[in-house]
Amino acid sequence: MRLTSETIEDVLDLVLVQAERSIDLRDVGSIDAYALLLLDLVVRHARESGAPLRVTWPESPSVRRWMTAMRFFVDVKTGLASRPAERNAAQGTRVESGGTASASERVAGSFVLGADVSAPSALGACDLVASTLAPIVSIDREDDVSRLVGSFDDRLSDRYPMDESPRRRFLRILLELFQNIPQHANATGDVLDPHGIAAMHDDEHSVVLAIADKGIGLARSLGLRSSPGLRPDSPGQAGLGQAGLQHAGLSDADALRAVVFDGRSRFRDPGRGHELERIFRLVRSWEGTVVVRSGSALLFQSETGGDVVDVAPFPGVQIALSIPRAVFGIGEAAFGEGGVEPRGDPGFNEGDEGDDV
Amino acid sequence: MKAMKATTFEISQFGRRLGTRLEGAAARCTLLAALDDLPPDGQLVLSLRGIDVLSGSFADEAIGKICQLLSSGIHGDRTLVVASPSADLVEDLSDKLAQRKLALLCRVGGTKGTWRVLGSLARPLVDTLELLNERGSATTKELAETLAILPNACHNRVRRLVRLRLVREEKIDVAAPNTQYRFHAIVE
Repeated sequence: MRLTSETIEDVLDLVLVQAERSIDLRDVGSIDAYALLLLDLVVRHARESGAPLRVTWPESPSVRRWMTAMRFFVDVKTGLASRPAERNAAQGTRVESGGTASASERVAGSFVLGADVSAPSALGACDLVASTLAPIVSIDREDDVSRLVGSFDDRLSDRYPMDESPRRRFLRILLELFQNIPQHANATGDVLDPHGIAAMHDDEHSVVLAIADKGIGLARSLGLRSSPGLRPDSPGQAGLGQAGLQHAGLSDADALRAVVFDGRSRFRDPGRGHELERIFRLVRSWEGTVVVRSGSALLFQSETGGDVVDVAPFPGVQIALSIPRAVFGIGEAAFGEGGVEPRGDPGFNEGDEGDDV
Repeated sequence: MKAMKATTFEISQFGRRLGTRLEGAAARCTLLAALDDLPPDGQLVLSLRGIDVLSGSFADEAIGKICQLLSSGIHGDRTLVVASPSADLVEDLSDKLAQRKLALLCRVGGTKGTWRVLGSLARPLVDTLELLNERGSATTKELAETLAILPNACHNRVRRLVRLRLVREEKIDVAAPNTQYRFHAIVE
């Protein structure tokens, strides 16, 4: 079984609609970055709701190794008490490979059940981090966005000799999507922890960027256009008129369409909005695919078309962009299961047993 | 009309990767101060030399909003142009200006580079602007003759270009029944 943008919906349906409190992932043979982020958020959401999930992690060593290298277990088990900046420190979001990663793995050990980071292994902690394209990072503050984007750029550029023009376009995508989280995910101020996260990996065909949060989502964000009393310090919130009222009470599917296809934003400033529209147009021109999920709606777009479909309701916005490697001047390559090249057994026993998370 | 004084502002002082609205808003404050320091008919040349990435959000906060202020007239006859080493660097800036229904002249490719319009400008206005930039200066009548359009239509076009601070106007005969103007390119 592969956990992808499609199949992760089965997991969400199980937890969010059928109210199952346990997930069995033993047969999972690979997970993409988008599914990994959604799994992270679902587990976290359940825990915050007072009904933690019991998860049986994948049996495949390569998948567990990849999940570990992507810092999934560190992120998902980091408590609410820790501030996002501390999470990033624990996660080693200065993702250059080397000493930082080694130190962060030691920090991570204190959060991860069953982890034995000091066990003799063919592959050390540093190697684990180096084998991922960009592990999960927390996005919380706008003034941290440029640094995080820089770290993604460094990781991508270190691995691949990319063509300059697509690289710049890709960085602009990162900058826009990353800053959306601090700007919009908690625009109402009533979300305890929107938990914005991002990660990137590559497979034999594509570079996949995933960005997700469990904030207010697109429908509530657009609804703010009709709430004159809310966030008066925000540009464009004053003097709301008919244009704002028409966004109140939009369904998730309509809000998704309004943002992605019409470039709508909660701000009335004409310079705002259209970022997602432009990004999606660009990715499609690269013959890539786009997934954006918000609330109970999911949009899937590829070069052959797309559709908005109903999904299990979940807070926030989750996005995946899959960009063909050829766009960056990168040739296709052979990859193993789990999303990364098989690099030997790291001696990691993460998730051997069911885990209450 | 005497030549305007151009002052170059290196935007790389804010970093090589210009990304967020927060950073753009801070940069706008510095840029506005530089604009205010210009003489009343001065020109700010915003150089993108040394920039790796310019996002739409930063560009809108730092440059789009200044263009909006310039077109409102509160900075008088001061003008703003951009100098970019490459066309792809200003793609998002152009999109943001188009969202605001504004336009800006940008020289792409160094001092010998070519001028192009960023943002949103209807084809007839582009034709008029290019003609004026070629000639350096002209009256409405002269432009209308070359473009083979009615003087009134030409006047409307040039007035729009003046409002966008893409050309400058000079009163040349205030004693005439209708004040006569001569229009000047802001780039060479």
